Amino acid sequence: MSDPFSTLGVGEDADDDQIKQRYLSLVRLFPPDREPERFQAYRAAYEALSDQRKRLETKVLGTRDAALGRIKSHLLAPSKPVCARASKTTVTALLIDGIDRACGQDGTA
Amino acid sequence: MCSLAAKASEAMRLGDFKEAIELLKRLVKQDPLPRWRDMLADAYAGRARSLAAKGMFDEAETALNKTAVADGTVREPLLYVQCLAKRGQLGKAFQHAVKYIGTDKVPAASAARMAELTAALWLVAPVRVDAQADPSSELGQWAQSAAAAQQSLAAWVEGKPAHEIEPLLSRIPMRSAFRPLRLILKSLITAPTDPARARQLLDGIGRQSPFACWREAVAAALPGEAQEPPTNATPPSRAQCLFAAEVKGLPAGGSQLLAEFVKAERSGAAALMTFLTSHAAALPATEAKSACFNLLPRAPDRLRQVESTFGSLAEFDRARILALAAEAANDWERAEEQWCVAAKATERSADPESRLMAGVIYRHVAGLAETHPEIAGEGTSPSIDYLEGSLRADPDHIPAVLKLIGLYRTEGQDKDWHRLAEDAAQRFPQQSAILLQAVDSAIARKAYKKAVGFARRILALDPINQAVRQRMIELQISHARRQARSKRADLAWKELANAAEWERPDAPSARLCVNQGLVAWELGNAADAEARLRRGVELAGGGVVGWFCASVEHARMKGGAASGAVLRAELVRAQKAVAPSKEEILSVALGMSDGEITEASKEIAPLVFRIRGWLLQGASLAWSAAEIHPVCEMLRLAGAYDLLADYARLALLRTPDDATWKLYRVMARVKGDAERLSVREEDELMDLVEDAEARQDFHTANRIERFLDSVPDFPKGAASHSARRGPSAKGIGSVDDIEEGFISQLLAVSLEETPPEMVERLVAKLGRERAISAVLERLRRTPVGELFPVENIRRVAEEMVNSICGKTSKSVA
Repeated sequence: MSDPFSTLGVGEDADDDQIKQRYLSLVRLFPPDREPERFQAYRAAYEALSDQRKRLETKVLGTRDAALGRIKSHLLAPSKPVCARASKTTVTALLIDGIDRACGQDGTA
Repeated sequence: MCSLAAKASEAMRLGDFKEAIELLKRLVKQDPLPRWRDMLADAYAGRARSLAAKGMFDEAETALNKTAVADGTVREPLLYVQCLAKRGQLGKAFQHAVKYIGTDKVPAASAARMAELTAALWLVAPVRVDAQADPSSELGQWAQSAAAAQQSLAAWVEGKPAHEIEPLLSRIPMRSAFRPLRLILKSLITAPTDPARARQLLDGIGRQSPFACWREAVAAALPGEAQEPPTNATPPSRAQCLFAAEVKGLPAGGSQLLAEFVKAERSGAAALMTFLTSHAAALPATEAKSACFNLLPRAPDRLRQVESTFGSLAEFDRARILALAAEAANDWERAEEQWCVAAKATERSADPESRLMAGVIYRHVAGLAETHPEIAGEGTSPSIDYLEGSLRADPDHIPAVLKLIGLYRTEGQDKDWHRLAEDAAQRFPQQSAILLQAVDSAIARKAYKKAVGFARRILALDPINQAVRQRMIELQISHARRQARSKRADLAWKELANAAEWERPDAPSARLCVNQGLVAWELGNAADAEARLRRGVELAGGGVVGWFCASVEHARMKGGAASGAVLRAELVRAQKAVAPSKEEILSVALGMSDGEITEASKEIAPLVFRIRGWLLQGASLAWSAAEIHPVCEMLRLAGAYDLLADYARLALLRTPDDATWKLYRVMARVKGDAERLSVREEDELMDLVEDAEARQDFHTANRIERFLDSVPDFPKGAASHSARRGPSAKGIGSVDDIEEGFISQLLAVSLEETPPEMVERLVAKLGRERAISAVLERLRRTPVGELFPVENIRRVAEEMVNSICGKTSKSVA
């Protein structure tokens, strides 16, 4: 399973209450009947963090990419609003990445 | 031809498309009917799907080409276009995809994805779409949307203001395949004024869309926090980072750092740590340090580099990292060693969380010890050692307590089991699972009052806990049975009254009711007794099943003759009433599989003979191998080997190659005694083991091995089969080759099969000569018969018949 702290979007020092509130807000945003896969991911992450011992297990026995994610956000820090434009080449590269990913998603191709 | 078609259909059903293609090609060659061609195309499409799933897009494309019809369209258009795109042939992919616009040749399930893929392909490599197309046709409308999309994108890239882009966007219909592009561009022009609305617009683009990468890049660049955390752990691609840098106008240095970060991330943990340590000053210190600590288990050789940048690691952190690295390298001894160092480092701390952490580590190592024998621990059982350690550090972890109790029980450490169960019951008085363990422990050490106390506490917490009610009822019935056997029916009655207190009115116990009836009979209250007995029988399933259950209870209790006579008569009547069903026979068999009943097999076995006729009728039912095991076990337990032989014989007529039935046939022949197996039978069973293992039927293989291993003096296990095979018929040069003791044993076993009374009957019925042939035939099926030449066996048969004839003539004289 991916880092449950990142999945729920909570800090490693979050307590039971904060984690529960965050989980419930995500479930409200993405209810299981509309987003079953997302709900399962949130549920699994919540199960892994729902009490102190489980959080310790996650922290001690696993490795997490939350810090890397925060570094990435730092590097992408919105120093300016999104007002400039990207080049056609970059957009084309994004579309090619997207086509490649979409062609390999359904388990057939 | 029909056979070819059937084989092809079966191959298709099994997903063996390669075989199906071969068969259908032959079929089409013989008779080129459209339906065979159709099936062949289906087979090619199936083959293409399986090839694409393995990443063999080139081969998948070739397979799909075989399904092409005159206009160039293929069976699985989406898959075909995906294969071309995966191979980088984006232009060709578009040229093919465009053929389907305005047709109904794409299955509805994949139509939307096909449309978006076509749109994205066109944006990447725009080509002129058929200009002759009628503007009102679907292709014509598509071409108009495509043109609007291209113009909108160009306007945005050129930096035109929002009010100029808006009208272009509005020319892209929301139902068209270019809708994702409209949403993205709208989001980008909305972002400077309303980032929340911009983010909301992006939600309209699916995760499987070819526009999803672009959508993610826009989302990452938008200011403010996403409502949804990123669930996808995939790092942003180079294009995504570049896009973020371009739209935000990041300075060249920042963009450079981001590009380096993305490159390092793609190169692996070691490169990423090099990046983090070399740019530590430009990055947030805490995050960089934390990121390095989390990367170190994947590249422990960078430990020194990280320590020189961020300072020395604490003893716990260092040991934890090395333990995780050792686990990743499957070095379990080192993992154990390092986890112990980490646990000891935390145990020393007075901080409660550190002690919990030590508990986590010890439980983890205990779990590892179950699957990795390299983990040795310090005592006899590493799992027990580490679970004990975990409870010293964290005594309140209930799953660990339950697990340790279970381990003490299975390892036979009864003293520790009882101590821990008792302590846990005191420590966790509100935990049913712990209290149930305490009940079991108290019952095992015959502390009956304690067991009752724990059981009452469980029921106070959980009034419908059927497990504890059943356990207490069984316990008190068992006490009552002992009292009844000592002719103290009054005390037995009292025990059963106590047992009744555990019963739930909506879930009456058949066994309790039957026992009450039987004890009431002993107390002389025949009318009440019979009523209870009949109710108990009904609860137990009625008919043969119910009366058999009552008879079993009677036998275990050593009940009186009067009640025994009633039971016998009722059992006979029930057998006559209706033919047996599989369910009824299985109910009888499962009732006999109870552990206590198995122990009392001597008392119970004669009861099986009372329902012998009924069971014999059941032999002709179509039993499956899985169903029959409890029945055969019951017959084995009762020593009813002739019935077992009938069951096996009739089943082998239905399924001649079934290993289970062959085992039971052999088992019946040797009367359940593996020591009586002939060499040929042993060979047959060992062949069955090998066959079962070859087809991975380990249940059957283990069952046969357990039977073979029940020979006390023989080496155990499948590996030693050849060792146990002993002197084989092939290997015997003469009788002298065999030990005298061995021959005596074989003779004793063989002659037991043909006792003098039988020989006498044969002589009387068939006469001397035919009796000799009959005895010879019987002896040939015995271990001796399989070992010795037929002449020798004939001499033994003659001697046996002669001795009987001699006796007979003497008695006549």
